[in-house]
Amino acid sequence: MGKFAQLGADIAKLWSQYSNSYFSGMKNTLILALVGTIIGCVIGFICGVLNTIPYSKNDHPLKKFFLKLIRVIIRIYVEVFRGTPMVLQAVFLFYGLPYFSNNAVRFSSIWVAAIVVVSINTGAYMAESVRGGIISVDPGQTEGAMAIGMTHVQTMTSVILPQALRNIMPQIGNNFIINVKDTSVMFIIGFPDFFAAHRAAVGASYLYFPSATVEMIGYLTMTLLASFLLRWAERKMDGSSSYELVQEDQLTMTAGTYRHPGEGTPFDERSKEYENLEREGR
Amino acid sequence: MAENPHKADEAILQVNHLSKAFGKNLVLKDIDFTVCPGDVISIIGASGSGKSTLLRCINLLETPTSGEILYHGRNVLARGTNAPEYRSHVGMVFQSFNLFNNMTVLDNCMAGQIKVLRRGREEARAHAMEYLEKVGMAPYINAKPRQISGGQKQRVAIARAMAMDPEVLLFDEPTSALDPEMVGEVLAAMQNLAESGMTMLVVTHEMAFARDVSSQIVYMNQGVICEQGSPEQIFQNPQKQETRDFLSRFRREDSPQVRS
Repeated sequence: MGKFAQLGADIAKLWSQYSNSYFSGMKNTLILALVGTIIGCVIGFICGVLNTIPYSKNDHPLKKFFLKLIRVIIRIYVEVFRGTPMVLQAVFLFYGLPYFSNNAVRFSSIWVAAIVVVSINTGAYMAESVRGGIISVDPGQTEGAMAIGMTHVQTMTSVILPQALRNIMPQIGNNFIINVKDTSVMFIIGFPDFFAAHRAAVGASYLYFPSATVEMIGYLTMTLLASFLLRWAERKMDGSSSYELVQEDQLTMTAGTYRHPGEGTPFDERSKEYENLEREGR
Repeated sequence: MAENPHKADEAILQVNHLSKAFGKNLVLKDIDFTVCPGDVISIIGASGSGKSTLLRCINLLETPTSGEILYHGRNVLARGTNAPEYRSHVGMVFQSFNLFNNMTVLDNCMAGQIKVLRRGREEARAHAMEYLEKVGMAPYINAKPRQISGGQKQRVAIARAMAMDPEVLLFDEPTSALDPEMVGEVLAAMQNLAESGMTMLVVTHEMAFARDVSSQIVYMNQGVICEQGSPEQIFQNPQKQETRDFLSRFRREDSPQVRS
């Protein structure tokens, strides 16, 4: 029991000295995770659309070549960034650019560097999620859109992607939560996130365990809040489960609806004719 | 099936020597036929005879293996054809409705007009309402497709296709996925369309509809057009043995209903 009291006292001590740094770390972590996930989703959606442009035998060979090239490039991007640790990607980009350009090109701000790394990494995962989301939408939806003359991009933006987006919302949530936690590796390039606040605090106070406790609680709070908001967003997207009948015209109100069998339909007369004809025909 | 040169001039669609193979399986063999303004052509035949494939080829949802499809004399299978533009003139109603699940009934009928025909929202809405009223679905404009019945979905699908002002409307077994009590409302909507002068190409198993509503019947068997003619010719005086066999099967199936 004494140990818990000790822990409480240590945490209180840390908090009184470093609460500002913890809070600004949390804020930075959340902003980085959110912006990175959103840009990553956009990258993922663009890759998903480019990946699914259909081509047929009759198309121009150059068009076919470009479409295949695009698919290969996306494939390489996905495999490379999904298959290497984000901490190394950060080092590669942040130190690689000045190394190759003799310091002519470098990231102007640590924010830009961190957002680029997180976005590219998330984009690689999202490209595959979006591809799965697009595949999961009934092919009839594409045919329906094509049959009224929509182009591939129109079909995608107005019919397929809204449905795919709904289907992959749980995946987007996953990615966001992973990003909240995994942006902690950005300390490697000096990004002031929540984990960097921990490193700063323990560097001065040597209170490793109490600070880690604060971090654990802080990260858990952020991810729980994120899950809650995501669930809420999903429910919002599903929309209302009922609908209003629009009574524009008394006649059409119940016309031809099987819910009101007693009301009759404007087609009744015709169906009677139809039956008569049928009888005479035999 | 002699070609009438005068008729060919004004034809909307002319299918010449069309063939389609899925791998080694030849589904359509050397199909020839013509669709002129005002025609209501019913394509009948057993399952697997290539009826739906023919319709899907005409709308370029399948790429034919050989042959040509002339739309006002222009071959749409040639390289460089603007397929979306062509499809906007040739509407299609599917067996499985294919309404956009993420949109309301009204948005389903407006999306194509706004995106493809570049109409303004108000104009598109008015036009969509006109056809939704014709099929009796005007009260349901705020419903999502998952909230309405199959027959209602198909009537919305018809309104969606008609709102594009197509020159010809293709129906791919529009009533086959429906419960029996909903077939009538869809057929009635289609009959209304036919009587308003719409050019229609209907793949159907509804023999009574084919006989009473169409101006021409095409009987397909094993990937070829076996017999073609007016409903009277086909139903009362079929020339080929295959046609007689096919129709007699239907008469037998229908007979209990007639007696009751």
